Amino acid sequence: MSATGRYRLLFTPLALGPVVVRNRIVFSAHLTNYAQDGAPSEQHTAYYEARAAGGAGLIVTEEHSTHPTDWPYEKMIHGFDPAVIPGYRRITDAVHRHGTPIFAQINHNGGQGSSMYSRLPLWAPSPVADPLFREVPKAVDAAEIDEIVDGYARVAGHCVEGGFDGIELQCSHSSIVRGFLSPATNRRTDDYGGSLENRSRLLLRLVAAVRRTVGGDVALGVRLCGDELIEGGTTLEDALWVARALEATGAVDYLNTSIGVATATLYMIEASMQVPPAYALWIASALRKAVSLPVIGVGRFKDPLQADRALRDGHADLIGVVRGQIADPDFAAKARAGHASWIRACLSCNQECVGRMGLNRWLGCIENPRAGREAIALAAPPSARRRVVVVGAGAGGMQAAIAAARRGHQVDLYEAQDQPGGQVRVAASVPSRAELGDLVRNQLAEASRLGVRFHFGQRADADLVVAAGADAVVVATGALPERPWWAGTAARVLDVREVLEARASPAGRVLVVDELGFHQATSVAELLADRGCALEVVTPAMVVGQDLGVTLDQETWWMKAAARGISETTDTIVTGLVEREDGALSVELQQHTTGLASERVVDWVVCASPPRPDDGLWRELRDRLAPGIALERVGDCVAPRRAHAAVIEGDRVGASL
Amino acid sequence: MRLLEPVDLGSKRAPNRLLFGPHETNLGIGRALSARHVAYYERRAAGGCGTVVTETASVHPGDWPYERAPLAAECFAGWSAVADAVHAHGGLALAALGHCGGQGSSAYSQRVLWAPSRVADPVTREVPQEMEEREIAAVTEGFATAAALAAASGLDGVEVNAASFSLLRHFLSGLTNTRIDAYGVDRLRFAREVLEATRAALGEGPVLGLRLGCDELAPWAGITPESGEQIALALGPLADYVVAVRAPAYDQFGARPDGHTPPGFALPLAGALRRALPAPVAVVAQGSIVEVTMAEQALTDGTADLVEMTRAQIADPELGAKLARGAGEEIRPCVLCNQRCLVRDPRNPLVSCIGEPSSGFEWQGEGAAIDEQAGAAAEGEVLVVGAGPAGLEAARVAALTGWRVRVVDRRPRAGGVLRAAAAGAGRHRLELLADWLEAECRRLGVAIELSTSVDPGDLSSRAASGGHVLVCTGSVPGPLPDADGSVELRTALEVLELAQSGRLGELAPGPVVVDDPVGDAVGISVAELLAAAGRPVTLITGDAVAGTQLSRTGDLAPANTRLARAGVRIVKRSLVVDVGGGVVRLQDRYTGKEAPVAAAVLVRAAPALPDDALWDSAPAGARRAGDAVAPRTVYEAVLEGRRAALAIGGRDSLADP
Repeated sequence: MSATGRYRLLFTPLALGPVVVRNRIVFSAHLTNYAQDGAPSEQHTAYYEARAAGGAGLIVTEEHSTHPTDWPYEKMIHGFDPAVIPGYRRITDAVHRHGTPIFAQINHNGGQGSSMYSRLPLWAPSPVADPLFREVPKAVDAAEIDEIVDGYARVAGHCVEGGFDGIELQCSHSSIVRGFLSPATNRRTDDYGGSLENRSRLLLRLVAAVRRTVGGDVALGVRLCGDELIEGGTTLEDALWVARALEATGAVDYLNTSIGVATATLYMIEASMQVPPAYALWIASALRKAVSLPVIGVGRFKDPLQADRALRDGHADLIGVVRGQIADPDFAAKARAGHASWIRACLSCNQECVGRMGLNRWLGCIENPRAGREAIALAAPPSARRRVVVVGAGAGGMQAAIAAARRGHQVDLYEAQDQPGGQVRVAASVPSRAELGDLVRNQLAEASRLGVRFHFGQRADADLVVAAGADAVVVATGALPERPWWAGTAARVLDVREVLEARASPAGRVLVVDELGFHQATSVAELLADRGCALEVVTPAMVVGQDLGVTLDQETWWMKAAARGISETTDTIVTGLVEREDGALSVELQQHTTGLASERVVDWVVCASPPRPDDGLWRELRDRLAPGIALERVGDCVAPRRAHAAVIEGDRVGASL
Repeated sequence: MRLLEPVDLGSKRAPNRLLFGPHETNLGIGRALSARHVAYYERRAAGGCGTVVTETASVHPGDWPYERAPLAAECFAGWSAVADAVHAHGGLALAALGHCGGQGSSAYSQRVLWAPSRVADPVTREVPQEMEEREIAAVTEGFATAAALAAASGLDGVEVNAASFSLLRHFLSGLTNTRIDAYGVDRLRFAREVLEATRAALGEGPVLGLRLGCDELAPWAGITPESGEQIALALGPLADYVVAVRAPAYDQFGARPDGHTPPGFALPLAGALRRALPAPVAVVAQGSIVEVTMAEQALTDGTADLVEMTRAQIADPELGAKLARGAGEEIRPCVLCNQRCLVRDPRNPLVSCIGEPSSGFEWQGEGAAIDEQAGAAAEGEVLVVGAGPAGLEAARVAALTGWRVRVVDRRPRAGGVLRAAAAGAGRHRLELLADWLEAECRRLGVAIELSTSVDPGDLSSRAASGGHVLVCTGSVPGPLPDADGSVELRTALEVLELAQSGRLGELAPGPVVVDDPVGDAVGISVAELLAAAGRPVTLITGDAVAGTQLSRTGDLAPANTRLARAGVRIVKRSLVVDVGGGVVRLQDRYTGKEAPVAAAVLVRAAPALPDDALWDSAPAGARRAGDAVAPRTVYEAVLEGRRAALAIGGRDSLADP
């Protein structure tokens, strides 16, 4: 079968008004926090160019602010300032070199923002505080509405001057236009409030004004929300009416889609692996039936076949693949070339992409160390091919092997277990976390392609490493569970890993102690509850799984916990444990805010506690390796952290050899 | 007064005993001190501060605790400029140097954290790497290199941080140093080596200060006042001065708490050090010292030789100068709210002050904006409607800039919502800002007419006769739910007003439900007030934690501890859906499950609505400010009141909201 023959529609061209895309894969708009002082940066250019070079059919940039009252997060592009134009030009020139069209998304976030940076009142249809920012906005008057319209037109003009091929209006999940469209935030009684016709008046004025500014050679798209998932919000019926009204203007070339409100239900907009793939496709599907404009479908598309299937089934005309192309900029090119299995598939873990956005940090990726660093030149290739031994095939060791092999070194990788993946593989054994396992698959595939020699089932001790005669040694031996002081020798106190590795099978009443604040405690609790255990999770923190909020996994955890009857106890530490004669465990707890003591009688205790570095080999080699042989360590054997820390350390060390 | 007498720090002489201590500002550009810093510090030096200590600079590139954290190696030019600026006003300028150790962040450096032992920080949960001797030596050398650079830049010396967020403290404390090598057997060893290396690098001329955490509030293993004194005895003589700090191990910002902690809480630590240390070593007292009387007392009773008044000089940059000219009563009070000056927040807010919003914005000329207009000839009268913070600030600034000003308010007291807010638990100092604004207005000849209403006709005739009108009418309560009368419905503001006049007993007897969809100080302080009045209180929050917005002021964990101790029941992740039959019905936001709570009173702490009754009929040319535009915080009210006054007569085009 020919390379593109696997896909019926994915690699066929399509006209979006005056612009023809070469395939249906869209790198749709998303925040990056790459802007500097309100202007696009060199990192923006390199980031978008990498996806253009990787074969994306269409790129839509992150939003550009249309007015000084809109500055909800620090690193926003101030599209209203003409100083952005040279940066626009750098981006569009770079992307056009690869034959890829690029559109600019323009927006005013309205009340979904903060005055922290602008020190100006927020503008919105009505004085309704946003659920996230909780700042009451100013209800705009007629003159201010005119100013908003002028702002969009001015910024669209900047974009055209900067070389963009199209404009997309963000009207879906964080926008003053959304604010006007939604009955939940529009309480006006003038011509802009009340009926849907009135609520869409601003949008239609914006479309007319932008089209007037950009003329007929530039594409114009509108991103609409199909369901806000909030009480009294926009529904699909409303969205279909608006879509038809937009089509009737004759000024709009395509529609993009979205679900949820960014400041209320973000976990459904940038859904993690807890939400099924293609979960929002029904919105695109409904819009496509209602209008004849091309429609973009989005929401956890991470596989080219899956995307093509959605096109073939008539749900959408184009597919937004954002995280898939963050993880692998060559997503489209690899699929087109018939190497879909080479794609570094996105895990939908949200740890370094979504998870860094709300924290005002640059966008990255758990498994692609180049993401967010595209503008930094790679080091020159080494002068000599060296022999590298890597010990440990967890995330850190694998990435070190990949990086070293990519630099042309000959790499031998030793792993005591009979398969790679280390703790990532263990974590992915929980059904709802299975997609994390793609990290292991991706690394193994890449390392194999690069010629890394694997030695699975072979524990490398110091003798073996010394005898291997390598020029450089990377120790990535990971970490070992460490029992909390209060656990003593009680056999029914386990580490999360012991449960997931099936070294013991807790039953009955189980107390999970969450000292890590991420997926460890909650996923083992979910697993054991599904096996019929009665679960309580206790944590010294204010929230069980406190960092799940960062990856948008907290809401789904709460729903799952409620459905399984898992109870949560916060602000509480374990102060002691006694093995009772009946085999049960008596656990002493103390609420640290009040000092109040309590007791739990359970059958098992499972600890999510910081492990200890397994650094014995590194220490031994430090004394034994001949001078001149480079010795490095990466990942948890340095300090037990999350997978991303291991990956970037492995990458850095592997690339430095 | 003693505060204004010179004092010797090593071989340097500070012109007075007032110190502006190191604190996060986010004024940096990249990791360098910027021109923004220079303007900020110069304003304090010009305003009479004897010793300015700049924002703590990291001594090693691996330490990157927050995005704009200065890095010593990039601070030479900034330090030079600060030195010149401060010296021009006769003050001393020192650089604070530090390393955050395990209390740093790997988010920016993408590197492992360093710490004496692998003890995870209780807040971030990130496990650090146990430092090897190589890394210890690198940090020690970092201090020396940074100190030499600071001295070469023209600064008068350095201050080494061993208090909050400090690797030195982590080595000193048994909580975080569990090493068994020489650095654990003698936990002072690292700090001693750092101080000796720093002194050696500085030479004998420049000042060497030590900021020392003398109490971690964790006596089971942490530094106690007793062990802190021993540490000070050992390390103090290596320095020219020691700042005595209470640095709680489990409360990141506990060294600079808000008004819930009484001012001067660390004075006993300073007193003990003063008694213990030899005379040549100066002792600096700090810890929420915001009143000149307290500072003077500490100096005259032998507690300390200098007093750090950082927040007091953020609130009034001219504190020292006002004292020197005998105008102490004109000093704008610090109300210890921490709302705008505590900026160690990933969003990178700039340091500022609710009462003095030009603090932190000196670089864009805001610090001098009022002075620049002060000499202008203003012919005419200004009518300000509303004597809340916006109206009083507008009146004050209008009077300072030459206008004849009249303020009218229908209430019998000036100060607006500040008075009621001050009735909230721990918030009483807010009243001082209202008092100050009112007193300044009166001192400047503003006519304040209370219990006086105006109608639109008054405004029109005022405008017709060439007068200027500012509408600062504040807010009206948001809607309350419908109910059958079985539950008394109140806004949080009403409850605060009752508390203010000692009439909480007027609320229906029985249990109270506080519905707090916002999570700021209002709902929390009302819950605390009612609990203190003996009411059974249930607090409803839609969030996973009560008081989420308090993370900005450092009061999030302390507030939750106080609520727990007060016996306030907190229902999380829930909304009020119905009231009636003596019951408030709640719904879990994520499961939809409903539950009743018995209530005699429901207090709603929801956002207010603008009081625009007068504005809607205000004459052309009138301006408005503060809550009348959109109900927000004191900061926006003061900022907009000031801007409105400066814009009268078209003198300043700055942001007319």
